[in-house]
Amino acid sequence: MDQSFDDVWAECEDLFGQARETLATLKEPQPAHVVQASVNALFRTTHTLKGMAGMLGYPVFSRAAHRLEDIFDLMRKGRLRSTDSLIETLEAGVLALESGLEGLRRGRPEPEDYLQSVRRQIGELEAMARPTEGQAHDLSTLLDLPPETLKALSDYERTRVTAVLLAGTPIHGLGICLDYSTFDERLRAISEALGTRGELISTLPWDLPPDRDGLAFLLLWAGVTLEPLPVQGGEVLESRQLVDPGQIPVSLRARVPEPAPERLPETPSAPATPAPDAEILRLPAQRVEALEARLMTVGQLRDTASRLLRRFEEAELDAPRALLSEMETGLLDVQKSLLQMRMVKVESLFSRIEPMVKSLSRDLGKPVRLQLHGGELEVERSLLSRLAESFLHLVRNALDHGLELPSERLAQGKSETGTLKLSASQWGRNLRFDLRDDGRGFDLARIQARGRELGLLEAGERPDPERLLRLTLEPGFSTQDEASQISGRGVGMDVVRAEVEALGGEIHLSTEPRRGSLIRLTLPLSRAVVNCLKVRCEGQVFGIPLASVLRVQSGRIPLSGGVRVEVLGRLIPLESLQACLGLREPEAQRTFVVLTQQGGPAGRGSFEVAIGVDQVLDRGDVLLRSLPELAQTPGIMGGSPQEDGVLWVVDPEAVLGLAMDSLMRRVAHV
Amino acid sequence: MSESGSWLQVRAAGRDLLLSTRELREVVAPSPLAPLPGRLPGIQGVVLHQGEFLPVLAWEDLPGARRPEGPPEALAVLRTRLALPLERLVRTLDDLPGLWEEMEGDDPARAWLGASVQLQGPAARHLNVEGLLELLRRFRSER
Repeated sequence: MDQSFDDVWAECEDLFGQARETLATLKEPQPAHVVQASVNALFRTTHTLKGMAGMLGYPVFSRAAHRLEDIFDLMRKGRLRSTDSLIETLEAGVLALESGLEGLRRGRPEPEDYLQSVRRQIGELEAMARPTEGQAHDLSTLLDLPPETLKALSDYERTRVTAVLLAGTPIHGLGICLDYSTFDERLRAISEALGTRGELISTLPWDLPPDRDGLAFLLLWAGVTLEPLPVQGGEVLESRQLVDPGQIPVSLRARVPEPAPERLPETPSAPATPAPDAEILRLPAQRVEALEARLMTVGQLRDTASRLLRRFEEAELDAPRALLSEMETGLLDVQKSLLQMRMVKVESLFSRIEPMVKSLSRDLGKPVRLQLHGGELEVERSLLSRLAESFLHLVRNALDHGLELPSERLAQGKSETGTLKLSASQWGRNLRFDLRDDGRGFDLARIQARGRELGLLEAGERPDPERLLRLTLEPGFSTQDEASQISGRGVGMDVVRAEVEALGGEIHLSTEPRRGSLIRLTLPLSRAVVNCLKVRCEGQVFGIPLASVLRVQSGRIPLSGGVRVEVLGRLIPLESLQACLGLREPEAQRTFVVLTQQGGPAGRGSFEVAIGVDQVLDRGDVLLRSLPELAQTPGIMGGSPQEDGVLWVVDPEAVLGLAMDSLMRRVAHV
Repeated sequence: MSESGSWLQVRAAGRDLLLSTRELREVVAPSPLAPLPGRLPGIQGVVLHQGEFLPVLAWEDLPGARRPEGPPEALAVLRTRLALPLERLVRTLDDLPGLWEEMEGDDPARAWLGASVQLQGPAARHLNVEGLLELLRRFRSER
């Protein structure tokens, strides 16, 4: 695909991410000016999406984005107030557009209506906001300002003046005079300060007093108090309240929606939108890759220089050697920064799932307790973006088919509310995503019958549960007689499997009748920065991820694999790293690293093994690169190119398993 | 096997081989090889290629192949991201229609070699990339 189009897709993704985040903030009580800033941001976002869709040649998408933009416009003009149900509808609308965009990216045709699922709700909102005859008001004429100044107000500014007055908020005028040389900086600073305390409605030109030099402005500001004024000496020409909301007839106030109660925070809060001077650079993935490749070339040049220097023993070369070492640190820092640019928190996926679950739960009449774990985990953006649709599908399936209706749950002695747990975690060289529900579980008998109907099972075959569960991942497999609006069209699970396998991962299903089911997606980690303990074995340097290291200990006498060593008063088995990795075994070692299962608490019930090493060197961050399938080596998570070769990073979980295998072989004398 | 397309004739594993250019990503100069801890059958180690690790084939582990006599002159990078060390690049050839002959007899290399073409000098055998990958996967599972 054209690279410039890739940029547009990436920007659309960012815009959807921002829209989701902003909508989420609207669910919490916010001061009115923060709500206004958020709605304005959402209006701009949908407006940009509309334009981009038009540019990409998707008119139906563009129209759908325009419809949402209209809703945000009605909100910002005060004709729709922000309520939970309105925000839920908008979240569902944004989600529908985002899913639609993902479909377009994969080459699917445009649907008839992207907003089909929320068409009724959006129609109601539009009807609610439509002014009835005689209802449109313009209260801006109440402002104590000269008529020529009032004429300068735009339509939007007039609607805002009307809305804030009807909400009972006073409007002030702050006349300021600024120096020619610094007026832009000062105006921005004062506007930002006012924006954090209330709503800055308009910045109007103002008459300059004859005895002053500079530029004069009148800032129309809605809020409770202006004190202390965010200005420097001599800048203020005048400051006064332009209208008292008490002047508005009560009868008029009752005819428009009441605003949500304003809960002002104790201290001024930061605006919900990013600071205007926070510049955001968007880089296409190819450019980051090109930078990484260039960085690698620099790293290789550094390695060559280092090898040349090592040929000479002269003391005067210590300085260049030290410089190369500094270069190593600098290169790693840049590599980490580049990697960071590719990463995104799993939270961003969860933020799409939460509103969808809420909306489905309501539509299906199934109360759900959604538990999300591991949102802080950072994964490659491209991976999460490719998996998003699969996750959404799995969640829809779990709600639609997995969880029972409340009456059915109660009859089975379960709580009326179903539970859906979604967790993300890192296990060695893999990322793991688990989706658990406490519903009815997979109906294995029905899967078997359907498998026979479709010819996926041979006559006389007695499949085990695992084989039956795998059948659900076959193209077109569905046990549902009719497709529901939510899922069950049989076009999902095979797509999920294909997506996961295309990423080099695996999908695993397990189930217990009436207890629920678990869907586990395991995906290889392609790149990561890992904090490692560096050790030497057989002349090679290895990195052991510190997250799995419980303790480093040195014995008084050299020990060999197969014995038990005392660690914090307990005896645990010892095996050499060499034996685990299939290297030549040492006679004995004094130093060992105690590894524990990741996530397992130290102490009772945890699984620990002391791994003997020749020498412990130091610790540090390494940029891990995974190994391709043909080079995957037992016990190795990946490698990190270093000055003197590759530092192999061990996979602690795998090494624990290999150590136990080796110890068993010793016991069996094999 | 398709007989159309371009071919790269190389010397590797003590044989003259023909690599289909459709299966080739590129040919690059050899770079330092990093052996993997615990030697995997069929794989010598990895090289760093465009910022990623690339496995390098160990010809000597393949049935019917000979250990290379010296360091490689080049690495052929297959589309399937496997590097083949080459002793020598011989030439490129265009379509070779009608020249292919299926090999008969029990050649131990038939798992990874296909039909041959009699060119000037010794016959050159088609490297069956799919068969080679299948063989490497079998090595792994049998380990």
